[in-house]
Amino acid sequence: MSYRPRPTFDQPTAESVRRTRRASIWIIPAVILQQTTLIFGRHGDQFSQLLGAICWTALTIAELWWLLGLPFRWLSERDQAILNDEWSRSVSGDASRWGIATAAVVGCAMMIARIWVRLDAGIAIFALVNSALIVAVARYWWLDRGESDEDE
Amino acid sequence: MSERLGNSLKERRTELRLTQSELAELCLVSRKTINTVENGIFVPSTVLALKLAEALSVPVEQLFWIER
Repeated sequence: MSYRPRPTFDQPTAESVRRTRRASIWIIPAVILQQTTLIFGRHGDQFSQLLGAICWTALTIAELWWLLGLPFRWLSERDQAILNDEWSRSVSGDASRWGIATAAVVGCAMMIARIWVRLDAGIAIFALVNSALIVAVARYWWLDRGESDEDE
Repeated sequence: MSERLGNSLKERRTELRLTQSELAELCLVSRKTINTVENGIFVPSTVLALKLAEALSVPVEQLFWIER
């Protein structure tokens, strides 16, 4: 028996969204890996390209939601306030800083490397963007890892 | 010189028999925020410090202080 009224029973709450975020964070590196093989692989037909574009769009939206706290209308104002509270904003801010720092370092390394190695522009952009993305996500996961016990 | 924000959040909360979740609910933040503030991992903003003080019915300076 539930004490929540039926119309809101299936709706996500701030806590359920937090749990889902934490549990599904590994999907991002997996999608990036899949996209790498798709974009740079030799056998990418039109259907795979379309599927890849959908995956990539979903990933981008998820990233913007995590790092910028974009509001989703099916969450109540109260749940959105809890989800984007001070701790969450602090963690996503720190993760974004790490992402930016990674982009700067990888970009610099590429500029130095191109003196000796011929770099493909597509691969360079892909590596630059995704290295920053992976580092930001990893940092976010590390800072927001595990739910501590009550009163611990 | 290292400075740290000390707090008596846990003492006051347990005095009022509130759980972290209940206090989080009163201040409209996640339990993780309450937990990290209590453990000195996270330094709250002035607004949150005032909200916590209000929820726990104590002056803010009684709840937070600077440890040197």
